[in-house]
Amino acid sequence: MKNKGSVILTIYTALFFLYIFVPIIFIFIFAWNSGEGYSLPLKGFTWRWFAELAGDRLAKEAIRNSIIIALSSATISTILATLLSIGLLKGLARRTGAFLILLILPVLMPGLTIGIAALVFFRTINFPPGIPIVIVSHVSISMSYVFLILMGRIEGMPLDLQEASVDLGASWLSSIKDIIFPILMPAAVAGWLFAFMISWNEFIMTYFLIGANMTLPVYIFSQLRFGISPKVNVISVLITLFTLCMIAILLASRKIYNKILMKERR
Amino acid sequence: MSVIKSKNKNLIYPGLLWLFIFFLLPLSVILIYAVTAHDLVPGESLKFTFSNFAVIFQKKHYLIILLRSLKISFLTTIFSIIFSYPVAYFLAKRTKFDKVLIVVLMIPFWINYLIRTFAWKLILSENGVLNQLLLWLKVIDEPVRVLYSQTSVLLGLIYMYTPMMVLPLYASLLRIDNSLVEASQDLGASRIRAFFDITFKLSLTGIFAGTLLVFIPALGSFAIPAILGGTDSVMIGNIIENQFSRVGNWNFGSAFTVALAVLSIALVLFYSKIFGLESIYKNKGNT
Repeated sequence: MKNKGSVILTIYTALFFLYIFVPIIFIFIFAWNSGEGYSLPLKGFTWRWFAELAGDRLAKEAIRNSIIIALSSATISTILATLLSIGLLKGLARRTGAFLILLILPVLMPGLTIGIAALVFFRTINFPPGIPIVIVSHVSISMSYVFLILMGRIEGMPLDLQEASVDLGASWLSSIKDIIFPILMPAAVAGWLFAFMISWNEFIMTYFLIGANMTLPVYIFSQLRFGISPKVNVISVLITLFTLCMIAILLASRKIYNKILMKERR
Repeated sequence: MSVIKSKNKNLIYPGLLWLFIFFLLPLSVILIYAVTAHDLVPGESLKFTFSNFAVIFQKKHYLIILLRSLKISFLTTIFSIIFSYPVAYFLAKRTKFDKVLIVVLMIPFWINYLIRTFAWKLILSENGVLNQLLLWLKVIDEPVRVLYSQTSVLLGLIYMYTPMMVLPLYASLLRIDNSLVEASQDLGASRIRAFFDITFKLSLTGIFAGTLLVFIPALGSFAIPAILGGTDSVMIGNIIENQFSRVGNWNFGSAFTVALAVLSIALVLFYSKIFGLESIYKNKGNT
């Protein structure tokens, strides 16, 4: 009886994973299908859509903007979140609860709300929409995510290390720079990659704030609205491969981090 | 020692300042827009009114969309719990490869959701894969029209947010001590009774954390109904988008946005009151 239940559970889980991956497999197949439409049976193999994408100026500009935005917002949010996590968890003794609620809000609140609020705010102070505003708003949400990642690491770090270094004559600044930062570095790298991916994929806020420019998700959305070319599939394939690389880097950085941790514990 | 701590404390200010200026201040600005009836101009006094909110409840059109959004998000949450519970249970209790499988489960999450939504559009369309498969299997005689309906929006939302339910559920199930279940069975409880009295009750934290991660984004969704939905599946997000990109009534659009924000903040506060914030942080930190 118990075995039978287990088998059903296993099959169900396998089907669930299949269900989660079906749309992606599907997108991949049609990136190389030579037919214009999206109907079965498949028409044959082609690189045509890749070539078409390579000649698309708008798409290239969108990719460039996406990279600029993701690089800057990930960097700013990682710096801010690192300082914030040290200050909040190794400085502030009491009443961290209110701060934690404030920090979780950008994660849990619908992106639409944050995007609209930023749109109205920047229009009110007469700041034109565009890439800078998008970077600023991406930082507001990704900072919280980086903080969440750092929080797990910093909580396990005893304050004694920093105290010991100061007792031994280090200044406060160098205790932060030479003791805390190296410990946090691997988590900060993971956080940076996470923030990069969030910004890279972010659509709703960007859609409202980008103005006349394009980012990759906004470009995809515009393509989806005005008829669908298999070019979109090609972009998807490229993004997916890129994402898999990022995940691999993220996992590798975690592994290295764990190894460093193991060495320290010894 | 407290010298170090008080110096450390100063490090919160850059990030805190950022959140105040670029997160809380914008939210306060739309709050002001929501309770006034004109544009915000520096130096001019404000005339407060609740007419923007009143319109939501007076015009049947908006009330229908509001209720429909709540209904669709609620159904998304329910189905995500039903679909993800067995998976979370399997991952937590029946396999050694849970860590790897969780990573695999998160891979699609990183692939732009517009692309995955677009894939569903292809699958569900009238001459899409689903219809062709069903026709070929002779399950149906003519293509079923699923796309551009509430059903297709619901399918898209369930697909998108169910993995967000799996994670906290898995985390809560993992924490349950198996000996509790065994003890209850030793004391005579049937397996079904033991499941509902012990396992299910102890996994409620996970269900509620997952509800936050599913219900709120579903309620605020805009791209999925825009791509998969039709006229009968317009949601709050689409109304808001319409107000800001086309109609240009910022006060009314802000009222809708504030309603959405208040609802999500209320849910978060309610959750933190009951379960404590730590559990959200723990569940979220795993991803």
